[in-house]
Amino acid sequence: MQQQEIHKFLERYFHANGCEIVDKGSGYMTVQLTIELDKELMNRPFYWHYLEKTGGIPNPMQLTLITNQQAAPDHIKGEVIHFGSPRLHQIFESARNLAGYIRLYENHSSPRGQQTPLRPWLGMNVRISYQCDRKRDVFKSIGLQLINGQMVEDFHDKLLGMNLTPKIPDYSFTLSPLIMPKSGVSRVANILKMGIEQEEHTWADDARMRWQKDLNLLEHFYEDAEEKGESYETEKTALKEQYEPKINISIINGGLFYLTDSAV
Amino acid sequence: MTVHIDFDSSWQDEFLKRIEDDGPWGNWELYKLALEVENHTIIPEFEGLQAPKHLPNLTPLPHQLEVAKQVVESMNGKAILADEVGLGKTIEAGLILKEYMIRGLVKKVLILVPASLVSQWAMELNSKFFIPAVAQRKSYVWEQCDVVVSSIDTAKRNPHRDIIYSLDYDLIIIDEAHKLKNNKTKNYEFVQNLKKKFCLLLTATPIQNRISEIFNLVSLLKPGHLGNETAFYESYKKDSRSLNGDEHLKELVNKVMIRNRRADTGIEWTKRHVDTIPIEFSQAERELYEAVTELRGEGDWVSSSQFSVMTLQREACSSREAVYFTLQNMLKRKEEPSQAFKEQIQYLVSKVEAVQQNSKAQKALELIQKINDKVIIFTEYRATQMYLQWFLKQHSITSVPFRGGFKRGKKDWMRELFQKNAQVLIATEAGGEGINLQFCNHIINFDLPWNPMRLEQRIGRIHRLGQEKDVMIYNFATKDTVEEHVLKLLYEKIHLFEKVIGDLDDILTRLEFGSIDDHLVDIFGKSSSEGEMRIKMENLTSMIQFAEDMKEGGLNAATGNS
Repeated sequence: MQQQEIHKFLERYFHANGCEIVDKGSGYMTVQLTIELDKELMNRPFYWHYLEKTGGIPNPMQLTLITNQQAAPDHIKGEVIHFGSPRLHQIFESARNLAGYIRLYENHSSPRGQQTPLRPWLGMNVRISYQCDRKRDVFKSIGLQLINGQMVEDFHDKLLGMNLTPKIPDYSFTLSPLIMPKSGVSRVANILKMGIEQEEHTWADDARMRWQKDLNLLEHFYEDAEEKGESYETEKTALKEQYEPKINISIINGGLFYLTDSAV
Repeated sequence: MTVHIDFDSSWQDEFLKRIEDDGPWGNWELYKLALEVENHTIIPEFEGLQAPKHLPNLTPLPHQLEVAKQVVESMNGKAILADEVGLGKTIEAGLILKEYMIRGLVKKVLILVPASLVSQWAMELNSKFFIPAVAQRKSYVWEQCDVVVSSIDTAKRNPHRDIIYSLDYDLIIIDEAHKLKNNKTKNYEFVQNLKKKFCLLLTATPIQNRISEIFNLVSLLKPGHLGNETAFYESYKKDSRSLNGDEHLKELVNKVMIRNRRADTGIEWTKRHVDTIPIEFSQAERELYEAVTELRGEGDWVSSSQFSVMTLQREACSSREAVYFTLQNMLKRKEEPSQAFKEQIQYLVSKVEAVQQNSKAQKALELIQKINDKVIIFTEYRATQMYLQWFLKQHSITSVPFRGGFKRGKKDWMRELFQKNAQVLIATEAGGEGINLQFCNHIINFDLPWNPMRLEQRIGRIHRLGQEKDVMIYNFATKDTVEEHVLKLLYEKIHLFEKVIGDLDDILTRLEFGSIDDHLVDIFGKSSSEGEMRIKMENLTSMIQFAEDMKEGGLNAATGNS
């Protein structure tokens, strides 16, 4: 992530959370936090607890972030933000937490007076982690139509091209799903699992070989011992944790999307 | 073979609940942002390092990046990092730790370091790596913080020990791991019983003299890598000098150990200048030294206290205070001392009292005034340390003491005082390890340790990355004493001060002849004449030189120059 991108990202994040940017210039911005975001980011639970108990006037903080030290004027004091900085990762985390679930409607432009049906879709964005003593991730965005069971990939990219709104637009009605959201999620899970099972897992075979090799060494080390004892068991567990190949599917976010027939 | 697939169901539960409750629903802009974040934080490849991208304030050196890559990619996250002193092992460990944390493979981390380094480790991880490491000071820290730095001596004691064993650590880092060379110690046992999923052992001196040390260290990291105890000693002890065997062992060890040398790194190092400063005893000092030396002939002393005589001789070369302190201790320790013994001590004490000045201290003072910059004085003896502090103060030179026994906070404070307010730091041996003082470039070895590796560690405190000036080393050696012999006949002959630690390390390992300390005690303690001592010293020297030649020969052969 380039510093420019970070700067844009931050602006969008604060804007989306209803915070006013009170001052900005090249390479920095000062944000007036809302109460909610102060609680989310500033880590001062005692202050808020105290305020609630005493009924005082809340005074959320201002936050100055510097995204380019060279460009920012010298007199500006604030936190320097770069890709590895804890503050940025806290904000990343917060973006994930604040928008884990969503429901949106397509803001279509059908002729007035004509009722347009909107079909329910389940959208899920997942991260698939392949893990042994190393790790790699794959991102997948799946859409499942909850009436006919049609499934599409890169669903999020498709959504990005649409005009979406949180309120149902005028002259629209939603069709009831035939597939319940709960079984929809299981369908997506199963499809993902099936896909993964078809893949070649040489990485896992390799990891198991490394594991077995170290296990053999361990056995050999304790060969002469009459009582293998606790340390042997500990080592064995450690090897399992180190090498055992596994795949985790975690959901980043997702939700219900009501779209016109022609949308996907 | 199939791989177990785990599908996180917690999202689904909350999702269904929100459908039921008709919200609350997230903001579309934030939803999109979250996915953009995902795009930036996803790591699509098993290989490669992510950490450098996250560390704009740190420019790792090429060899440090190479180490991190190798540990993660080909050593499966278990390694002995054994770079020579000053090449930045902490940086390497930090890079590896960061890499695993970014990839989400490591969350809970235990870092065991010498007490004097606890704060520094925590600080460096925070400032250079943005890793929220916490120095363990309260017992709740173990459970509440993910990355904890502690001294091994604290960690191995209850209640800490039990808490640590009950926690699931993903990565364990142990600094100065060469202290774990003996598998009979409590520290070794403590570490052995820790669960080590990923593990880094850091040491500048992985192999001192004994092959058993490397066996113990490797077995801690990867039990069985060098075979089990019986098998290992069968193949290596009997035949330890066979080159083939050694090559094989070396290859095995290299699978779990990375060792960079200064010469390999291609980094320009500042020079070392070594200056031996001969010290002339005053009449009274000479008499004290002779009186102590004569003890060897006394029946009562020879059998039991050979070592004491040696110690007293060395102390006499350092300060009268050091001698006095030892004498008092000897008297105290002896149950029902005989009249003769008491008289003997009394006689020596009178010799101590006769000494009116310390020739070395005088010389040190001149030197410090001439240098007119920060200086570190190393001495082996606490009594000397205290005396020097007093002595320098008499001459309006500010100094701070430094000892291994200081509490952590005090060590940090002393270092700070030295950097900001004092001209001289007076350190005893234990204090020599584990503090970085590269803002200073003058060392006075007020007296010499008999383990050459310790000398190298002293020098390593200042001759490391970040040192911008040439390093000046002044060795004080009192004429016609054991001290001068060790320096002239051994250290200088083997070019100890000019060489870097790795070479010596290699050489000593190659020799396989036990510790140098033992040899020196034997030479000075058992030789009946000056001549015998000289011959024995020469033998020792030529053995070391022989090993050196062998090493060079090996190198030549390897490059085809032989």
